[in-house]
Amino acid sequence: MPLKNTNVVSAYQTKFGRLEGVTLREIFAEAVDGATDNAGIPKKDIQAVFVGTFIPEMLVHQGHTAPLLVDYAGLRGVAATRHEAACASGATALRSAVMAIESGIYDTVLVASAEKMTSVSTNRATEALAAAADDEFESSMGLTFPGVFGIAAVAHMAKYGTTEEDMARAAVKAHKNASTNPLAQFQKEITLEKAMTPRYIAWPLKLFDCSPISDGGAALVLTSNEKAKQYTDLPVKIIGTGQASASMNLCDRNDLTAFESSIAASKEAYKMAKLGPKDMDVAVVHDCFTIAEIIASEDIGLFKPGEGAKALREGVTALDGDMPINPMGGLKAVGHPVGATGVKQAVVIYRELIGDAGANQVANHDTGIMHNFGGTGATAVVNIMRRSDV
Amino acid sequence: MSEKPTIEVYKKNIEDRNFQAYKCVSCGCIIAPPSGTCYGCGGTKMEWAKVSGNGNLVSFTVIHIAPDEFQEETPYYVAIVELEEGTRVSARLLGVDPLKPEEVKLGVPLKLDYEKGKSGHTYLAFRPA
Repeated sequence: MPLKNTNVVSAYQTKFGRLEGVTLREIFAEAVDGATDNAGIPKKDIQAVFVGTFIPEMLVHQGHTAPLLVDYAGLRGVAATRHEAACASGATALRSAVMAIESGIYDTVLVASAEKMTSVSTNRATEALAAAADDEFESSMGLTFPGVFGIAAVAHMAKYGTTEEDMARAAVKAHKNASTNPLAQFQKEITLEKAMTPRYIAWPLKLFDCSPISDGGAALVLTSNEKAKQYTDLPVKIIGTGQASASMNLCDRNDLTAFESSIAASKEAYKMAKLGPKDMDVAVVHDCFTIAEIIASEDIGLFKPGEGAKALREGVTALDGDMPINPMGGLKAVGHPVGATGVKQAVVIYRELIGDAGANQVANHDTGIMHNFGGTGATAVVNIMRRSDV
Repeated sequence: MSEKPTIEVYKKNIEDRNFQAYKCVSCGCIIAPPSGTCYGCGGTKMEWAKVSGNGNLVSFTVIHIAPDEFQEETPYYVAIVELEEGTRVSARLLGVDPLKPEEVKLGVPLKLDYEKGKSGHTYLAFRPA
């Protein structure tokens, strides 16, 4: 049955990028204020906080972040738990919040997330990111994250004829959409030629196939039907949610051209929502690498296996296409502060659905889907959201 | 060969250029890298198994930007290799030019080898048979 009681009533994203002069807790507090006080939702109404951060232990030398962050953000005393699932940390926090509302334990909760990645060297940040892969059997032989997605790209290219140019088109689209998104790390369009610059990171992935290292935060307030109208006339409902795991090691998967956790999570979410891919007006998918956007668009059923690149080539996934994907610019151009990404994706869907996306507004905006995955797809979360007046 | 396999010994065997897989005692399924549970039957009792060393190339990448520990070794191949016994492992790929990856064909037969890296570790590796 579709979920009935979970309403998103406010959403906020900080600027993403290299945020000079602010620490993790300050970024987090900005996101919290944006989704509560500044959105007309008093902090005293928040009964619990679901926190998404990936690896502050290595990035800012801080563990036990949930109480620390909520205290700094003016929510001392409120139940707060951190959720960690690598790049899917944010969406797992969101999903727990959904379950808390649906269970009836709480009426109004906050999902808040942040990551501060640029206070350490790029090498240290890369090392921290690598902790999301299997250290003993993958990372220890020098397999990197771009490398894992390079392996997926090679398999996809061999099976379906996807090309390096197809992947570059995903980067061009991301930068184009981000050019009108003031919260994006990169607000500059790039040409296909530039996206194809042969600076290989992990063949066949090049510099412009990769999302950047970023700081940023995002937050959402979720509440029950009974309370929602106090805060907004136009809540967005979360009507379906799914989550699945897969092996950490790529070598333990049968199919390298798809991510089985994404497929399973999306099936669960569609089934719960009693909707299918054709009912989606807009999608936000986890494009940590360009090939990941192409594969995700197939895994969540928007296109048949092997046809993601064709859709991209034909402009179907462009802002003004029939099935816009990552209309604000995705991880690739908006940035990827790891623990905040999954929450930011829900912020994007919320803004698109209520018609608050400015220059990045999609034409049809009743129903949207978000897909967030962790590491190399060992965790995947899919949520389906629909405007409450539909 | 009768002792209970451990990850520590699995890794030491590779360092010693003596790769061995796990084998599920219940169903005979060959497993590598180690798993606590058999993919085939769910069994949890494992023993060591020698493998033929024959495999084929499933997919690969060439790493150009690596963590400090491996940067001196770049560019290098990391491949997914399916062993004749059915299981798949991650391994270095030797005997092919890292600057000509477009010439490498998926599915080609490979033979087990090892590579002593500048990092000091010995990696599981394969080369064209």
